[in-house]
Amino acid sequence: MDYDPDKGYIALLGWSLNAIEAAAKFDRRYVVVAPDWAEEYCSEHDIPYVAWNFERLNDRSMEIAEQLKEMGVDVAIPLFEETVEWAGAINSVLMNNPRLLGQSMLMRDKSLMKRRAQLGGIRVGIFEEAHDKEDVIRFLRRVNQTLLKLDGDPNDPIHFKAFDKAGCLGHRVIRTPDDVDTIPEEEFPALMESHLDGWEFAVEAWIHNGKVRFLNISEYVTLGYSVYVPASPELEAYREQITRQVEKLIRTFDIEFGFIHPEYFVTSDGEMYFGEVAYRPPGFKVFELLERAYGFNAYQGLILAFDPKTTDEEIEAFFPREVVDAKTHAGCFGVYPRRRVVSKLEIPEETENHPYFESHELTPPIEETVTKRTAFGTHWGLVYFVGDEAKEMHQLLKRQEELDFYV
Amino acid sequence: MKPRKCTSCSSARRNSISTFEPSAASAAALARLDTAIAVLDDALDFAKPARIQRVLDAGRKVLLSEGGFAAVEERAEAIEQAGLFAGSDWAQPNTLVPSLTSTSLTSPDPNIVVIEAISELRLLAVAGGQYRHPVISAEQAHHYLSQVLATNLTLLFTPPGEAQRETQGRLAGLAQGLLGHMAARIGFEDIVDQLIEEIWRIVQQRPIQTEPVRQMITQIAICQANPSIDLAGSGQGADRLISSLFGPTQASREDPGLEIYLQRLGSMDTGALQLEAGGCARAMHDTGLVSAYHAELIRHLLDHGDHLLAEALGLSSTGRDCLLCYRDLVHSLIQAAVTPHTPQAVYGLALMLERGILYQQPLAPALWRQLNLRLCAEARQRLSISFGESVDPDVRLLQGVLCILGQPLGVGQGNNPTCQSARALSMWAYNDPDYLLQMVAWAARDHEIIMHFEGKPVSSRESGAGLAPAAPLDLDPVSTLVVPHLDRIYAEMGRLCIGRSGDPHRWVNPEFHGWWAGRGFRINVDVASGQVADLGEFLRHFYASYHPYYNGNQPLIHPQPAGIAITDSSARFIGWHAITILRVTLDPQQLMRVFFYNPNNDSGQDWGNNVVVSTAGNGERYGESSLPFEQFASRLYIFHYDPLEHGELASVSAEELERVAEHMKSSWAEARWTAAATADLQDSIT
Repeated sequence: MDYDPDKGYIALLGWSLNAIEAAAKFDRRYVVVAPDWAEEYCSEHDIPYVAWNFERLNDRSMEIAEQLKEMGVDVAIPLFEETVEWAGAINSVLMNNPRLLGQSMLMRDKSLMKRRAQLGGIRVGIFEEAHDKEDVIRFLRRVNQTLLKLDGDPNDPIHFKAFDKAGCLGHRVIRTPDDVDTIPEEEFPALMESHLDGWEFAVEAWIHNGKVRFLNISEYVTLGYSVYVPASPELEAYREQITRQVEKLIRTFDIEFGFIHPEYFVTSDGEMYFGEVAYRPPGFKVFELLERAYGFNAYQGLILAFDPKTTDEEIEAFFPREVVDAKTHAGCFGVYPRRRVVSKLEIPEETENHPYFESHELTPPIEETVTKRTAFGTHWGLVYFVGDEAKEMHQLLKRQEELDFYV
Repeated sequence: MKPRKCTSCSSARRNSISTFEPSAASAAALARLDTAIAVLDDALDFAKPARIQRVLDAGRKVLLSEGGFAAVEERAEAIEQAGLFAGSDWAQPNTLVPSLTSTSLTSPDPNIVVIEAISELRLLAVAGGQYRHPVISAEQAHHYLSQVLATNLTLLFTPPGEAQRETQGRLAGLAQGLLGHMAARIGFEDIVDQLIEEIWRIVQQRPIQTEPVRQMITQIAICQANPSIDLAGSGQGADRLISSLFGPTQASREDPGLEIYLQRLGSMDTGALQLEAGGCARAMHDTGLVSAYHAELIRHLLDHGDHLLAEALGLSSTGRDCLLCYRDLVHSLIQAAVTPHTPQAVYGLALMLERGILYQQPLAPALWRQLNLRLCAEARQRLSISFGESVDPDVRLLQGVLCILGQPLGVGQGNNPTCQSARALSMWAYNDPDYLLQMVAWAARDHEIIMHFEGKPVSSRESGAGLAPAAPLDLDPVSTLVVPHLDRIYAEMGRLCIGRSGDPHRWVNPEFHGWWAGRGFRINVDVASGQVADLGEFLRHFYASYHPYYNGNQPLIHPQPAGIAITDSSARFIGWHAITILRVTLDPQQLMRVFFYNPNNDSGQDWGNNVVVSTAGNGERYGESSLPFEQFASRLYIFHYDPLEHGELASVSAEELERVAEHMKSSWAEARWTAAATADLQDSIT
């Protein structure tokens, strides 16, 4: 599509075909910043492209910022956890606002993020940093002492999250000192948190001029396995409270524009605890689910929220009304093989025959032996469902956990 | 010819396409498909690949629903425009090769099957003129599709085979349905001759289940009788097949209907009846198929003397003797089991009499028990579900009993992973028929079978699930009742072996099949690693046990269970399969062959690398399969022997062993071969 010269010129940091397609069909000029392996594909398909290998920020980081500035780019949009601090660095140059880098660094360090939230008066669980396995064992013991456990009582678990990994990567549940032994050295330093029994959910919030413009609640059926949007009426009942929490978060982190993806817990007494927040699109294809449920392209929403030249009218015209405008519920399930040895992919009959089943992106197994899962790990692919009843969707997603997709 | 008049065969055209009326469920599926097509259409070129899966998933659902083929055909143009085929071989339909479709339609990858199906349906739309395609004309499309039908005749008319089931799972019926839809649209004219050849090949194996063959023959008869179908000189070889079902004799030649035929019989003298009897018997023994007229004739002849009855059954002196010895029993069996709905009972009865097994003391009383058996409710229900209510379940079962006793090698496993149970039934019918009747009585009357595993009773009622997920519906009557029990017992015996090292068949096979299955056991695959092991000794021992030149010219006494590695026509490994070794002897060309029973429905299979299983023409009896000894040895992985007879290993020549090893290496054992296997073989040779 031809772009509108009065609107911003945006740079997408990282490789996502869905984001690229959304940008290509939108009215903004765009460029993809991605590693050099993408070059051939981009020239073949006429995708505007700048080569850059995202490693740790270093002396050369200025180069890409300067290059984009020269090109006239107005804003950089991070698509993955690894490009969040790059976007911060680049945007601080493009917008002449050094605070943006510091802000993005907060988003990349789970421990700093928690402290900042705590300072802002947001409730968080007990947490501590771990630099080695000793720290983990001590924290596990102390948390359980606090809970007045006697020797021999089963421990309450703690959560262990590598500082700078996205979502469930590097997220482990630790119950015993033996579990601690399985943590590889490279996952330190890490954040440890006490376990909260409650309802965990995520929020996707598009922010423009310091205000939340669209707020979605993503309901997890089981963390790391399944999610659906919009959330069930039971969870949506908390929308008021959740919106206030997100606004508090925006103030605390001083966020003026863009997109955040925080996670919360609601405990049984209705108290809301902050888990973590990311400054990038969520995993589990939630953007794709939103498009399926509402019909708007969430990546284009992302571009609008980041572009400094976006007007309020544009934003208002773009986003639908939350929940009421959703045509249906869309959910997905991340498949992990349940057996140790698998030979083929076989979508369970009851899954395939369910009227909500839509599609999947599972591929046949390459190796017969399944590596043992240590952390929450990565799923082997997603299965998509679409249907009108939240309750049915919930049960359906839960049910998938008991089925074998790889046999 | 008006084949529809014959009551037993008036089944409607298989796979016929009625006017399309989507059910509620398929309306939702169609809406999904339409949205998926729209999304794909809307995507930019580089993003299309990520949108294709949704079309394929929605497409598969539609294809598997009723009227799905027509619905996809209607949308074929939109699907192609949206870009489903872009960048693939299917994008250039003018260059597609018809013979490749048999591979893609039976592919283990559901996406390949679905995309191939959509491509065929697109060409069907092109051939029908609804879709004007830029690169292929309607005539070209028509020609291509008729070639596809001809190459896939086996797929079209036979239930999915072992390989297809193993690799495709639930999708196994899709190819058949698609081809049926195409055949209904394209017409049979071009493919009838190949079809006839195929039918003859199948009837030569004398299956108990003749329904698929009857349907095929009915198809041809319908085509021939339809003046608007131009068979253009093809279909000549079908006359014998059609007449054996619809007009085997002088008095039934024009398929007059049963009522008129009965009237004609009533006014015949002995001479005329004798002509009818001879005509029916010849047709039956030529094809293994029995006409409903024949069943009426047999019933009619009960009052006209045993000489005519023997004539109508086409009996030799052995069979006639047996008939006369057990006259009351045979008459009762005819009265109870032979009806126009169960004509195959005549063939089963005739062959049973010919086998002379009634002279085994327990058999006649066991058949009397069968005649008076009260079926339990579960058994009645299962038979009704499988065979409908045209005759009483007792009659259906009795027909099945006669057929399995007459044609022990005609047992098929249907579309189920139950080769072990089918093999056991066949083996008992062949070797221990009164034991089989005992099993039938337990299953039919008590709904429970108890077998013993190393002294421990194993009940089918208390055992967990078997290999088949649900009770099979596509089997002969005896299998329908007994297989679910056997399947559970077999699986339970396997469970009882958990924890033992080595292959469980070592213990399960003799306990499951009978005392005659050798307790000695050899396997050439290491169970833990899956690698070929002990090959040299395995082969030399097999020669020493089974090959008449190496075992003192001792013909095989009892049928022995054995395991083979099944390969497809490209010699790729598909799975392990249970068979029975029946005989090892010289064929008419003086070549040593192994004759075996394969529970698969169609045993004439191409296993790749020129290993083509023969079912006729090399000395096979009805239902037997055969391979030259060497070729058979190259696919064998398990055999049993009598450990007390274990003599010296055969001094098989090095060249022969190496030839067998080469056959293995170039087929199923390719990925299982190690340096150790080569070394072991060398050791064995020197």
